[in-house]
Amino acid sequence: MASPLEQFVNNVRTMSASGSFRELCDVIAKSDEVLQRNSAHLSTVLETLDIQQHSLGVLAVLVAKFTVQQGATDVDKSTMYQQIHDFITNCNGEQVRFSPELYTELCHQLTNYLIEIKQPIRGIEILKKAIRKIQLFDSHLTSIHADLCQLCLLSKCMKPALEFLDTDITGIGSELGGNNDSKHFLLYYYYGGMIYTAMKNYERALYFFEVVVTVPALVVSHIMLEAYKKYILVTFILHGKVLPMPKYTSQVVCRFLKPLSAAYYELATSPHAAVKHREIFVRDKNMGLVNQVLSSMYKKNIQRLTKTFLTLSLSDVAARVQLSGPAQAESYILNMIEEGEIYAMINQKDGMVVFLDSPEKYASPETLCVLEQQMAICTKLHQYIQEMDEQIQVNPQYVKKSVGSHDEDMPATSQNSKTTYSM
Amino acid sequence: MITNFDKLCGDLEKQELEAPTGIASPSTYAQLLAIYLYQNDLCNAKFLWKRIPHNITSSNPEIGAIWLVGQKLWKKDLPGTYQALAAYNWTEPIANIIRALEEKIRERTLNLIGRSYSSISIDTIVSMTGLSKDAVLHVCRDRKWTLNEDGVTVTPTPPTQPAPLHTSSEDQLFKLTEFVSFLEN
Repeated sequence: MASPLEQFVNNVRTMSASGSFRELCDVIAKSDEVLQRNSAHLSTVLETLDIQQHSLGVLAVLVAKFTVQQGATDVDKSTMYQQIHDFITNCNGEQVRFSPELYTELCHQLTNYLIEIKQPIRGIEILKKAIRKIQLFDSHLTSIHADLCQLCLLSKCMKPALEFLDTDITGIGSELGGNNDSKHFLLYYYYGGMIYTAMKNYERALYFFEVVVTVPALVVSHIMLEAYKKYILVTFILHGKVLPMPKYTSQVVCRFLKPLSAAYYELATSPHAAVKHREIFVRDKNMGLVNQVLSSMYKKNIQRLTKTFLTLSLSDVAARVQLSGPAQAESYILNMIEEGEIYAMINQKDGMVVFLDSPEKYASPETLCVLEQQMAICTKLHQYIQEMDEQIQVNPQYVKKSVGSHDEDMPATSQNSKTTYSM
Repeated sequence: MITNFDKLCGDLEKQELEAPTGIASPSTYAQLLAIYLYQNDLCNAKFLWKRIPHNITSSNPEIGAIWLVGQKLWKKDLPGTYQALAAYNWTEPIANIIRALEEKIRERTLNLIGRSYSSISIDTIVSMTGLSKDAVLHVCRDRKWTLNEDGVTVTPTPPTQPAPLHTSSEDQLFKLTEFVSFLEN
């Protein structure tokens, strides 16, 4: 065994024993090259370290082992699944939290490997475990979340991701924040939106796509563009029209994304757009959603009828929303009643349909229950905002800035104020 | 025989995720598919059907038969659903779930009819519930739906809502206190 490598092992052992993990992280960051140069001996190194006691050391070795190097084409990955599985099951959560970058890197490697060998479903359980291990609290977003969603989508097994998606995020892992790129953050919300769309939970899907599109940005990301296209389609399904974007949307969205997705806007104005731009929709793999938009248009039209008419014959309904006949109109209306989208009574004897008002009187115990839940959510939100506010109040940078600007308020020349902003 | 399908569902999902090669046994897939249909979780059923490897579906006709039912449900083709349910000779443990599924679909349909029709012909009820005409008349009597003089149309009444869940006044007082204390602070 080469001596720098020996020194690395010794460092890991002594520092793990004394509990100085922060220093160990620095050592690991510097030994990156050593590990990669000695890739042949890494398996031996692994045997000398204990997963539970030297979690950080093992983590660094594993990441180095499975990193594909420039030049060397084949890395032995046959044992990868088992080794990562063992590591994630047995590692010490406290220790690996000192180096979330390496930990998530390992998960990304596993994800890529499973996608490569086309067995994405095998990774779902491990990644769930991995997320739970490194999370500080349930609503803590890590960059592994995006991997999990990707595996779920690829394996067509969406249900496991829902428990994570259903939790609203209130904190972001350090490997996602700061100066790191926002790829995994965008991907999580993009994939999450896709999963909700597949599960026909359009409300939530729309929210997820909206998050992607409204991320503060100076340049356009491809993920944002694709999310924007799906956002348009889902608003059509839900609302029948494009809703205005929130005010905090970055300017680039309006400037660049809109012209790039003109075909999607045309869907709103003419039903022939689906045929005309078929090639674009198929290329974007959004044809399925486009078809759903078309069939939701019939529903929207029927809903519009309920606003004008109290009673209408089924054949009139068919004629007004351009369905083939009374039978088809009846089945559309029946489905909509079942989904709770309209309130109506069909009279088969006379071939009439009576549109009713919502039977909800807002006086039932269920309503009270909903109200209580909504109030609890609002109270919680208020709490979060207060906590964040307090954190910002004591943030040294914020204090410095707000005090500094006060001083300069009086004699503020234009040059001075510029320097404070750039701080 | 009533088993807890929700719990079984969780177990089966786990079995699939923990399968060493990512591929579970045909019986796991078949049961899970049937249970998704029973829960009226058609989205998950559809994706399960799509992810079952091709060689398993081709060598196990029962899985295909279950999905045929799912397809009819997806299209809301009720007469077709009952045909598909009757067309296959189900084996245990699937047969158990299928029986429960059929009953549930019928119950749901009857509730839907009650909610959405002020008058409906008996023939339509027959095709929507897959029952014989006599059985339909029996069901109508049970639900107190009146048969009109012409003898072919029925006047359904909306199903009665299940009794509202009762919360204790102590619990409500607790929530109220919490809410007021939030407003005060």
